[in-house]
Amino acid sequence: MAIDRQKALIFGAAVAVRLLLFTTFPSLPNLLAGRVEVSTPVTSFKRLQEGLFLYKHNVSPYDGGVYYQAPLLLPLFSLLPDPSYFPFASNVLYTAVDSLGAYALMQIADSMQAVTPRLFKSSRKDLRWSSVAVAAGYLFNPFTVATCVARSTSALSTLFILVAIAKASQGAGITFVFALSIASYLSMHPILLFPPLLLLCYDVRASKAKSAPSASRFAVSHTAGLAAACGLLLYLSYLLTGSWEFLQSTYGVRLLLPDLTPNVGLWWYFFIEMFDSFREFFLGVFWLHVASYAPGLTLRLRKQPLFAAATLTGIFAIFTPYPSIADAALYLSLLPLFRHLFPLMRYSFLAAAAILYASFLGPAFYHLWIYAGSGNANFFYAITLVWSLGLSVIVGDSLYAALRDEFDVERPELRGKEVKRI
Amino acid sequence: MALIATVLALRSHPRIQRLPPYLSLLCIIIGVAWLLLLPLNEYSRETYISENALLPGQVHTYFTGSEHNVFRAYRHEVADMILQPPDVRSKRLEDIFHSNNLKAATQRYTYHTPGREIKDENVYAVLRGPRADATEAIVLVAAWRNMDGKINHSGVALVLTLARYFKRWSLWSKDIIFLISGDSTSGPQAWVDAYHDAHSPETVESLSIKSGALQGAVALDYPAGPWGHRYGKLHIMYDGVNGQLTNLDLFNTAVNIASGQMGIGTALQRMWSHKNTYQDRLQTMLRGMMSQGLGHASGPHSAFIPYRVDAITLQTVGDGWHDEMSLGRTVESIFRSLNNLLEHLHQSFFFYLLLSAKRFVSIGTYLPSAMLIAANFSITAIALWVQSGRSDLDEPAAPSKTPASSEKKTESEFFQPTTEKKMTLIHSGPSATLIPTTLLTTTERPLLYPTLFITAIHTTGLIPLYFFNNAHSTHLPLILNTTLATTPLLPLLISLALSKTSLRPTIRHITLIQCFSLLLLGMFLASLATLNFSLSFLIGVLACPLSFVRPRPGSKVQSAGLYLLLSLLNPVVVGRAATVYWGADAVEVLLKAAEGWHVWGLWTQVIVWLVWWPAWVVGGVVASQGLVA
Repeated sequence: MAIDRQKALIFGAAVAVRLLLFTTFPSLPNLLAGRVEVSTPVTSFKRLQEGLFLYKHNVSPYDGGVYYQAPLLLPLFSLLPDPSYFPFASNVLYTAVDSLGAYALMQIADSMQAVTPRLFKSSRKDLRWSSVAVAAGYLFNPFTVATCVARSTSALSTLFILVAIAKASQGAGITFVFALSIASYLSMHPILLFPPLLLLCYDVRASKAKSAPSASRFAVSHTAGLAAACGLLLYLSYLLTGSWEFLQSTYGVRLLLPDLTPNVGLWWYFFIEMFDSFREFFLGVFWLHVASYAPGLTLRLRKQPLFAAATLTGIFAIFTPYPSIADAALYLSLLPLFRHLFPLMRYSFLAAAAILYASFLGPAFYHLWIYAGSGNANFFYAITLVWSLGLSVIVGDSLYAALRDEFDVERPELRGKEVKRI
Repeated sequence: MALIATVLALRSHPRIQRLPPYLSLLCIIIGVAWLLLLPLNEYSRETYISENALLPGQVHTYFTGSEHNVFRAYRHEVADMILQPPDVRSKRLEDIFHSNNLKAATQRYTYHTPGREIKDENVYAVLRGPRADATEAIVLVAAWRNMDGKINHSGVALVLTLARYFKRWSLWSKDIIFLISGDSTSGPQAWVDAYHDAHSPETVESLSIKSGALQGAVALDYPAGPWGHRYGKLHIMYDGVNGQLTNLDLFNTAVNIASGQMGIGTALQRMWSHKNTYQDRLQTMLRGMMSQGLGHASGPHSAFIPYRVDAITLQTVGDGWHDEMSLGRTVESIFRSLNNLLEHLHQSFFFYLLLSAKRFVSIGTYLPSAMLIAANFSITAIALWVQSGRSDLDEPAAPSKTPASSEKKTESEFFQPTTEKKMTLIHSGPSATLIPTTLLTTTERPLLYPTLFITAIHTTGLIPLYFFNNAHSTHLPLILNTTLATTPLLPLLISLALSKTSLRPTIRHITLIQCFSLLLLGMFLASLATLNFSLSFLIGVLACPLSFVRPRPGSKVQSAGLYLLLSLLNPVVVGRAATVYWGADAVEVLLKAAEGWHVWGLWTQVIVWLVWWPAWVVGGVVASQGLVA
């Protein structure tokens, strides 16, 4: 009963904070929706409105060259009243999306897959935060709140990624595959989460059943399921728009980066500076770099698939072409699941300070560049480097902590001793 | 990473742990000393014109002779309008512009700031440049009333004369806009907001005539009456709202033309006599920093600067032999220079401190001083973070365990109880050493309580921010005095209230709270230094004792002394003391600040109430721990 009251308190407070922000500062959503840190070309709510307008007037939403998001978002948002006159409905929708995400996060925490997966029992497994605390960390993370208030569609991708992880950690294969296919359909790169989550799902299924199911059959059936679900969504989009052109405007944009609007990631500046003849080559290299983490982490962290998936979300927040603070918010809210690794992390203060500094200096330098005219693009880019550095220090450090945790189980006699990599 | 790991391993070394306060102090001393070095020749530079297109003073000026008669006639016209209501005045000004074949229009604006209604009219006229395609424009401004509230007789008359005079030239390759604003701050703000469609149409009328992108603006402040006044110097004002500065090229052009071509002396920052000595340079710089730090509008030009329109105000000061015609020629020459511009002013510096009319310091040279001050907070924050992980931190907090002699402990002993300690043997190469185990182990830090505490304190800052900006002018004295009386006591009350409840913070909590607060302060000030160097520096210097405040549970006398010292540095007390020192009326200052908040988009208040004030409150809470223990 006490837990339930806590839950109600956390969720109630989170909903209240969001609705309060929406109603007391009516100009805040538009302000945040215009910030490059929150809204990227592929997640912006303003661009969604543009696409919606074209869609409602029976013009292909991709004709304007502004809308780069998935076609199935259009019928969903056209059900809502026009947000410029009646924003309450979309506010409620986004608040609900965040609450559902937090609920999924609680399910992940309750599944205990973070500390005691099937193949590995952490020696620090008693050190964990309650699921309510983890959910609170997500709901009250300023980055999550900012994303929600800006009504960026990455909130939806975040929700479906969290649901996919939650279902995988409960061993619910069908819903997991379906949620992941929606997440991938919305923002493409979550498909890279499939290998670790598949392993996670398999592990949970194996530990629940008496005898482990056949690995190859499990893999094949789920991969086929994912392909079918993605295919279905794409076919529905085709039916909706009447042509396959949307592929070019959604996934083509994500892959080929034609829109170089600044964001918190590392790609835009690099590709502004790039000579056109090298563009294709470096696009290939950059994407290969992002994609190569998925198999690598999955194999190395075979015993802790949930951690591999969480680390991958961190990689996405740094290395994808259009990252925003929403991606960082997802990663930073998955981290508290691994509370037992925190004592092993060495640079947490450093990384946290770097991220804090970046989140204040970023808007300041953007102001100097765009509004005051006294700075230039290098100012903002320097800060995105610091931001990415902070995130990558966290990713690297938590990875070290996870491996050290595994090592402590393998070699208990070396626990607490300094180790050196040779 | 290996190097970082080695460095991080060093952090448990006891000597290193004693270092940070000295390091912080060093940062502050160097930061302040750095600033004092800037006026020396070795650290400052002569100004120079970066933008070759400007060619200041390279043209003949022809504003002489019969124009003087026209000017005198307009000056009497202006003198005649003084007693008339704004709408009649606007009509007559518009008629004068019309008679010179210029398109003219009137813009009405009404701002409601608490307890005040600012209502007036702007009149403006557009001269279509004969060689221009209406894509670029430069603005000549004269406010009807200057910053002191005097009627800008000769300034307005000069603008009218120049409008007539400029109209006859065929060489303008930019449009020229002549603006007679109703007052010196809100009027230009209303006009420039409306020019960029950033106004709210309920209070500020939209402009019916427009031209291209504004490239520069020059404002005239020449309040000599209908019988004229010969002035001695031109006072050039260049700082905008929120401490943003105009491009140094424009300032240099004005100085170059006034002193080089016209032989008029120039002054800045109210330094009427500048002997180019170290003291004078330092004083000019400090006055400039004060003005930049407060971020208020200093003249009609200030409203333009946030819109990336470089602007200056030329103000006539003193008694001398220069008359309106030499001012007119100066303006003519400046406009000829601006007319040459091929692109927006961008070459020269936007961040500088001026030491005299021809000497400046650029950002690369002066920024380290504010950054060092900000870094001192971060260093202390890191030290406190390391300290907060120490396992023996909470021991002295429990009074029952502390022996009575603890009152005499010095700070270095404070966290190391003199009772027996567990020792760890450390081998380092051939030598071995004994180190207290407590120095080597790190305990879990309770983060929730400090985070919530800091968030609550920072949120509380919204309350005074709201009241000072929105309270009616009749209530302001009461609010000011209440705040003045309560804020110094607030930290003590918080400490007392917390110590009576179950929420009583432990020493570890207090250390973490201070750590977070200083971390935030350092971060805010470092960010602010890039936007408004002076404000960041001033707050940093006033807040630097916060780095050295530590709870002293044993000694009530020391704690009380520390607390008293801190109270003197309370933002409200400092602000009140500053108004007394400069002989300003505190309520009037607050009203201006509220006007700035509502009209000009001033955000100095946000920095004071949401950055400085919360940091101070936390410092006070830390200091008052010794009083309630």
